[in-house]
Amino acid sequence: MMADERIDTRLLEELTEQSQDLNSDAMRITRGALSGFAEAAGPSRPWWRGGLLAALVGGAGLLGAARAAADSPSPSASASGAVTADDIRALQTAAALENLAVSVYRTAAGLPFIKDGNTTVAAFIAKTTEQHQAHARAFNAAATAGGGKAQTGPDPTYKAVVDQALPTIKTPADVVKLAVGLEDVAAQTYTRNVGQVSSADLRRLFASVAPVEAQHRAVLLAVQALLAGNAADLVTIPVDPAKLPAAAGSVGFPDAFYKTDNASPITEGAVQ
Amino acid sequence: MTADRTWEPALGEAELARLTREMDEAHRATLPLMRASARDLGEELRASVPADPGRRRFLLGAGGVAAALTLAACSGTKSAEDPAPTSPAGSVDAMSGSPSASGGYTGDLRVVALAVALENQAVGAYKAALDAAGAGKLGTVPPAVATFVTTAMNQHADHAKAWNAVLTGAGLPAINDVPLSSHADTMAALGKAASVGDVAELALELEDQAAQTYLFATYGVTGAAGIATAASIAPVEAMHAAILNYVLGRYPVPDDFLPTDKAANPDLLTV
Repeated sequence: MMADERIDTRLLEELTEQSQDLNSDAMRITRGALSGFAEAAGPSRPWWRGGLLAALVGGAGLLGAARAAADSPSPSASASGAVTADDIRALQTAAALENLAVSVYRTAAGLPFIKDGNTTVAAFIAKTTEQHQAHARAFNAAATAGGGKAQTGPDPTYKAVVDQALPTIKTPADVVKLAVGLEDVAAQTYTRNVGQVSSADLRRLFASVAPVEAQHRAVLLAVQALLAGNAADLVTIPVDPAKLPAAAGSVGFPDAFYKTDNASPITEGAVQ
Repeated sequence: MTADRTWEPALGEAELARLTREMDEAHRATLPLMRASARDLGEELRASVPADPGRRRFLLGAGGVAAALTLAACSGTKSAEDPAPTSPAGSVDAMSGSPSASGGYTGDLRVVALAVALENQAVGAYKAALDAAGAGKLGTVPPAVATFVTTAMNQHADHAKAWNAVLTGAGLPAINDVPLSSHADTMAALGKAASVGDVAELALELEDQAAQTYLFATYGVTGAAGIATAASIAPVEAMHAAILNYVLGRYPVPDDFLPTDKAANPDLLTV
């Protein structure tokens, strides 16, 4: 069903390589943000010594952060006052969502109709898996830099959903449907987290990941529409835009403002 | 998953046209929330009291050296690169975003003004593209591209309305044009576009710029409602960019993390 002789695999490989080059810049930027975050959260730098930490924690926010950190199981978080317990929980929940996404995409990659099917879909799954792994590493790095534990397990709420759905998956469209849901939950959660975390560095981290998950969802929505329209042959890079149905141009971005009503609570995937 | 956190429904072939209508209705359903958020931001800014000098340190520390340069522009601080007259350097009003500072759009409000200008620019660019297509200057326009342009243009118009509500709520004039020093070059490039691909390339630049500017805003502004608003729009611009990359034959999700190297500098603002 998904086999497509028109796929230019060499071009796809070149594009993937180009995207990896582009991504290295973004990784460098994010590492910089994480470095700043780690510096701010370091237990040896109390807030009153000034610098970045003092800059990030100010006024009422400082009081709130210190109060929340006092409840944190992490000694370093309590010592620095820069990272709240809720920050850690949000980071761990984010890592849990990423871990689940990685697991689902890996499982999908091994399904016969994916492994032996549309090369573009398989390449997307491989690349997206890598990106979710990078996100999980970043969230866990921030969590541990703030004195929390890394979350290595999946989000329990959505793992239950996935466990229920996996046995019913029979086609690429089933995989795409599952992935659309996971990407949307991740994007909504991080969009909301931007307004929940206590520092600019953490806002930057969540805000730099949410759009990427949204992009995954946009692509998957477009693919979903093409599959539903019996146009699997158009799931290819490069595609001939002239052959795409009109709806394919807009189905990928259904809302003018990204919703957050299905965002996971920050405690959902926190380490217990 | 709880009952109210459902997966996306599967799509049927016959439903594609209906889907477009539903999508439009769905995105408009988000507008009341957005307007409420805009009101909150306007109220925050109106209620802001003159910041103490520590707030300046807060802003400078939050974003590092590069952000500090940008925020210097936000604050109205003169810089070597921007000799244009602005509010006094280090002015507390400038840092708080109070409209009482000379120049009007300062602090957080300068980032809001930049957002409006970028959204208006996108709307204008897409409108010009539709006009060019209608005049036959771009060759045959695929239906999917036409749908993309129309839908993206409407969403950018919604974004501009939301941000303008913030400005007017803070007692400042709405921005209905494109007060960006780069705008003439952008429109000139659009005027030279001879194909759908040319337009898509330009649109991708604008979408990347918008998404990355909003990413910057999430950690470069201080008001909670402004942060939430920027966070809710950045993913949408990024989704536009993903579809454009796909149409252009490129990998649609090129970055693991959205970068900010293409973010617009508030220095571009001419108001």
